[in-house]
Parts: sequence; structure tokens; C-alpha cells
Amino acid sequence: MRSALTLIGLVVLTVLALGLDYGLGQLAFVATWAVAGLGLVIILGQSGQISLGHGAFLAVGAYLQAGWVAMGGPALLGLAVALAGGALLGALASLPGRRLGGLAFGMSTLAVALIVEEALVRFGGLTGGASGLSVPPMTVAGWAVVDPLHQFAVSAAVLALALIACRRLLNSRLGRAWRAVRDDEGAASASGVDAGHAKLLAFAVGGALGALAGALYAHWLGYLSPEQFGLHLSFELLMLVFVGGASRLMGAVWGAVVIVALPQAIALLRDTLPDGVANMAGLELVAFGLVLVAVVLWRPAGLVR
Amino acid sequence: MILQILLSGIATGCIYGLVALSFVLVYKATEAVSFMQGELLMVGAFAAVALTAAAGWPVWLAVAVAVVGMALAGALVERLALRRAMGQPHLTAVLLTFGLGLMLRGGVTTVPAATHSAHQLPLPGLMGQVEVGTLTVSLAHLGVIAATVLSCAALAAFFRFSRAGLALRACSENPRIAAMMGVSTSGMHTLAWALGAALAALAGILMAPVTFVHPAMGVVALKAFPAAVIGGMHSLSGALAGGVFIGVAEALAGRYLPEGANHVTAYVLMLVALLCFPRGLFAGRAT
Repeated sequence: MRSALTLIGLVVLTVLALGLDYGLGQLAFVATWAVAGLGLVIILGQSGQISLGHGAFLAVGAYLQAGWVAMGGPALLGLAVALAGGALLGALASLPGRRLGGLAFGMSTLAVALIVEEALVRFGGLTGGASGLSVPPMTVAGWAVVDPLHQFAVSAAVLALALIACRRLLNSRLGRAWRAVRDDEGAASASGVDAGHAKLLAFAVGGALGALAGALYAHWLGYLSPEQFGLHLSFELLMLVFVGGASRLMGAVWGAVVIVALPQAIALLRDTLPDGVANMAGLELVAFGLVLVAVVLWRPAGLVR
Repeated sequence: MILQILLSGIATGCIYGLVALSFVLVYKATEAVSFMQGELLMVGAFAAVALTAAAGWPVWLAVAVAVVGMALAGALVERLALRRAMGQPHLTAVLLTFGLGLMLRGGVTTVPAATHSAHQLPLPGLMGQVEVGTLTVSLAHLGVIAATVLSCAALAAFFRFSRAGLALRACSENPRIAAMMGVSTSGMHTLAWALGAALAALAGILMAPVTFVHPAMGVVALKAFPAAVIGGMHSLSGALAGGVFIGVAEALAGRYLPEGANHVTAYVLMLVALLCFPRGLFAGRAT
């Protein structure tokens, strides 16, 4: 209840501070990132594994949705296609790491992400290659979602559904299996939990949520290019979970607020600097890295326990 | 023709291998998964370029100072920051090193001279080519291979014959028992990061005659992960061999497979290695 009130307060505050259209547009991104963050919360916080290439799942969702809409498919059904594609890729990406667990998952998801990124550039006929691809606005029952308010409403609805689904999953047999594997894999196996299966499903759910977020992101941004989904995105999502807290689902929402707000804050800070002080692209990297390092050094075990 | 491809593959593979070596060295000793080896490599190469081009030092002195300087920097960063990630889940070290890497890359990018022109490190004796029979051999490639062999021999000797090397090995095997035997484990973590940073810098300097020195050259370190995985994640010689293996496989893929396949060869090999050889391709004996 308290977090719901804080959220409403946050929405009101954002709209007041940034203006209606811009504020709601940013909040739509917050809700979209939060959906992707939920997937990582399940992988990292619930089942205790690591994904170093989560950007690939967003990429697959975004490009599937773009392709589906371009072929004339209804956008809402496209979300389901993206969801299925993400789940499949998540399960596949986790297969090579299954025998080792832990860091091996990080390595296999990293490899899959780098392969996906290269494939997006290489198969330019389908994906527009490095020059990118434009995505038409989402249409729901003949009604185009272009207004920031509507975009926010759609993202918030998807986020709410994802939160409810995740909560139900966590309270199910599968959720208990994830936590058992996270806390002690040997003991979990001895108690009859199929650890390999639980980890596979964690990556499938995580990949599906990532792809769902990617599909929404494709519509909100209206333009896709492979470098948006590179290693940097994967690490931003990891930072999102680290800041928000991997141990609870709402952590993804708070982390998403920080991840969307941070580049804005850095841009504001940059504008206060006199012109020509230094190369701006470099300063932004330094600022982002500095925040990341400061946060990790301040609370090495995660901001929220 | 095939010999030439193999040779250039081995030379590239030596670079991958050196970076993988630095990664595995750090990973074994401190359990930290480092995403900043590429940036350490880039900064090392830039340090050597700056000392020769801007300060006018002789090349070999600049190279030596750059490598030693990066070792000190690695030790310093371990003392100040990376130590905090000890004993935490992998995510902490991953994010911390990635953030430090961003700071290094951003810092170099802010220097206008670093981004406005491509730099080359004029290592004497490593420019040009020689003809051996029908074979045209680039001296830079030979130099990379020779330098890798020499530095690995030096590293092997260090691990085998010096007290510090033995202590570092003991600490990687079992930190608790090593501590009981009087090894300062925290000192060993610092030493591991210093060695790791120095090796990465060396790889960057060796890369300089083959490619140009630029702020994004650190992406080459992504190939260190496949090399380390193929080498079994815990073996120094395995990491080096994995690097050479990947370099050769990439060179062959670039020649015989459709365009673009060589960009993903390393990662496909990594997935195959994880699936079929989880203890590494060269894991002969159980440890």
C-alpha cells in the first residue's frame, strides 16, 4: 500500500516537474524498463543466477514486434509473439550454462547477446541492419497509441499485469523452487527440486519479460538499431536491479526510476558546464561510470537488502 | 596462403590469450569477473603512445614505464575500490569493474588528442614485412608472438621459482590454508590485480603495431571471455591456448566462411565449449 502511494506521488511529481507530455513520456519508459527489470529480478534475486546479456532479450522482443507489425499483425498479439520469442531465447541461452551454473550462465548469455547483436547487423534485409528500422505506432483496436498519456497507460497496464503474474509465480511451487535453488542448490536437489529445470524456467521467464519490454520500447521509440541493444543496455539493466534491489519485485520499479532519471540528471549537469570544456561524449561516460562505482562502493551487497 | 592465415591468426590469438590470461589471473585469485581488462589494455597502449609521442621518450623505455605504471595503477585500484567487492556475489564485481572501465574509457575520450586522430606506436623492428620463400610475413605478427612467448615464460618462471609467485598460486588454490601458512591473502589480491593490469597493458601495446590505438580498442577484450571459458576458467596456460585457438579459428572462418561469420566464431565456440566441455577444452586431468 505504501509503495502504491509513493508511486502515485512519484507520477504526480514527475508530471509537475517535467510537464504533462514529457513527464508522461518518461514515465512510460520507466514502466517499460521496470518490466525488463522484473525479468532480471527473477533471474538474479529469486533464482540466484546471473545474466550478462539481458539486452539481447529486449532486442529480440523489439525486432519481433517490429516485424510482426510490419507484416500487418495486430500489435497486442505481437506482444504475445515477443513474449514467446523471448522465453524461447532465454531458455536456449541458459542451456549451455546448465551444467555449471553461476558464472557459466553469465558467459552463455553474454555470448548469445553478442551473437544476437551481430545477427541484427548482418541480416540487414530483415532488420534494417546498422542503419536501423522505423516502427509504426502501436494500434490497439484501431486506436493508435501516440499520445504520451496513452503510452504511459499501456506501459503501466503491462507492468501491472507483469507484476501480478510474477507475484503469483513467486508464490507458486516454481517460485519456491527458485528460492531453494538460490539458497542451496544441493539441498534443493536433495529435497526433490529439479534444479536444472527451475533455472531453465527462470531464464525463460526473464527472457520473456525482457522481450515484452523490448516490444513496448520499439513502439515508444519508433526507431530501432542494433547498437541500442548492446552490452551497455545489459549493464544498465544490471545496475537497475542492483540499485532497486534484487530481492523484491518492486525493486525493478525503483531501479527503473533511477535508470531513466540518471541520464537526464547527467544531461542537466552537463548543461551547467561552460562550452568546450572537454569532449562531452567522454564526460557522460565518466559520469555514468562514476555513479555506478560510487553506488557499488557505498553498498557492495546492493542498495536494498 | 594457409600458412599466412595461420600466422596472423596465431598473432591475434596471442593478444586474446594475453588478455584472457590477465582475466583468469584476477578471477582465480580474487573471484572477481573483470569487465575492465579491455579498458586497462587501451589505457596501457595510450600511456605508451603518450610517453613516446608527447613526452618524446625512447619507445622501449615508454613501453616499460607504461607496463609498470599500469601494474601500479592496478594495485592502487584494487586497494581503493575492488577490495570492497570481495566475498560479494559476481554482480558486484561485474558492475564495479564495468563502471571503472566506463570511467577509464570516458576519461581517455575527453582528451581531444586521443579521439581526433588514430595513433600508432612505432615499435622499432616491428614495422614492415619480410619475405620467407613465397611467404610474406608481417614483422608485427612475429613480434607479437615472440613477445607473448617471452612474457609467458617470464610469468611461468615467476610462478614457479619466486616466493611471491608460489604464494599467489597457493592463495588461488585455497586462500584459507594459504593464510594459515603465513601468506598475506589481501597482499596477493593486490599482486594479482597488478599483474592482471600489466598483462592487459602489454597486450594493448602489442596490439598497437597491428591495429591503431583508439579509445574503443578495448572491445578486443570481449574475446578474452571465450578464450578463458575454452581454457576452463581456472587455467592460465588454458587461457593462453584458448586465445590462440580462437584467433586461429577466427582467421580460418574469415577466409572460408561467409562474411560476418568470423565476428561470431568466438562466441559460438564459447557456447559449444560450455555445452560440451564445461571444464575447458584442455582439461586433461582432474584438479
